[in-house]
Amino acid sequence: MRIFTERTIMKYPVFLLVLLLLFKSGLVAQSAKEPWKEQQLIAPRALAEQIDKKQTGNILILSVGPDAVIRGSVDMGPAHEPEHFAKLKSYLKNVSRNKEVIIYCGCCPFDKCPNIRPAFKTLTGMGFKKARLLNIPKNIKADWLDKDYPTNDNE
Amino acid sequence: MNRILCTLISLLFAVTTAAQSTPLKTGSIAPEITLPRMDGSMFALSSLKGRLVLIDFWATWCAPCVKEQPQLKALYEKFAPEVKEGKFEIIGVSLDKDKSTWKKTVDRLKINWVQVSDLKFWRSPVAKDYGIEELPFNVLVDEQNKIIAINLHEKELENLIQRRLGATREQPRSIKAATLNNSKHE
Repeated sequence: MRIFTERTIMKYPVFLLVLLLLFKSGLVAQSAKEPWKEQQLIAPRALAEQIDKKQTGNILILSVGPDAVIRGSVDMGPAHEPEHFAKLKSYLKNVSRNKEVIIYCGCCPFDKCPNIRPAFKTLTGMGFKKARLLNIPKNIKADWLDKDYPTNDNE
Repeated sequence: MNRILCTLISLLFAVTTAAQSTPLKTGSIAPEITLPRMDGSMFALSSLKGRLVLIDFWATWCAPCVKEQPQLKALYEKFAPEVKEGKFEIIGVSLDKDKSTWKKTVDRLKINWVQVSDLKFWRSPVAKDYGIEELPFNVLVDEQNKIIAINLHEKELENLIQRRLGATREQPRSIKAATLNNSKHE
């Protein structure tokens, strides 16, 4: 830890800049192990296109956050709340483990979201081989509603 | 070298701030808010003209917003004399969609300032009127309904309210101490 002393930081302004950039880009925060892998993330645009082309027949889309905004998605409620967590588990019991299940929250960026981690761990823990997480960088408003992607309202 | 470093850091933060900017501007009149209270009666922001008002946009599904509520509660307690004298008020505008969840959380957190919501989630017209992109979000408006601050939190918010109210008396507890105390009792 000696390299992080105040003296070192003052002595090496470039070191300070790199450290700041790392924090800013969230690289430091992201180094914590997440329950999903990069390839299990799906971009909102890709899902929106699939929904528009009606190619979601074999996909189950579950909202584990504030609202089931996405067209065809089923509302499980915020997964960090015990009653909604139980609802999610019970709903998934009867779903084929080979089905592609995409979960999303959209309350806030991933680092602040209390719902996606317990929900995703449940999916993989229950043996879903095609568990996916919708990659929402900011929130459901900015990354779905504002982009006029298909919603349950405008079916 | 140091000058280059300072410029780079300033640029970095300037870009971040610009990306988070809203169409709201300090100095402009706050858009009217006409929304139902929890009991169904209508509330209008303009009815609070003459007071300094903190409009707190939040939702029970927004974890950082819920986390901030005890701080606001401490703030409300700190300025209770000003609230009583009709000089200061907090309004909680919720972007929830479910009334029972909203009510349950307000009860649990013992929030005692006015709470309003049309339960329309992000589709609430108020979100558009105030150009809200993410929560938590707040606006401080003066006695003439003019916006004096956008999205201030913690000590910065407390200090500005204190300055605006001219409340010079010493407070028995700081907001942080009060918050800690509150959370201990939960």
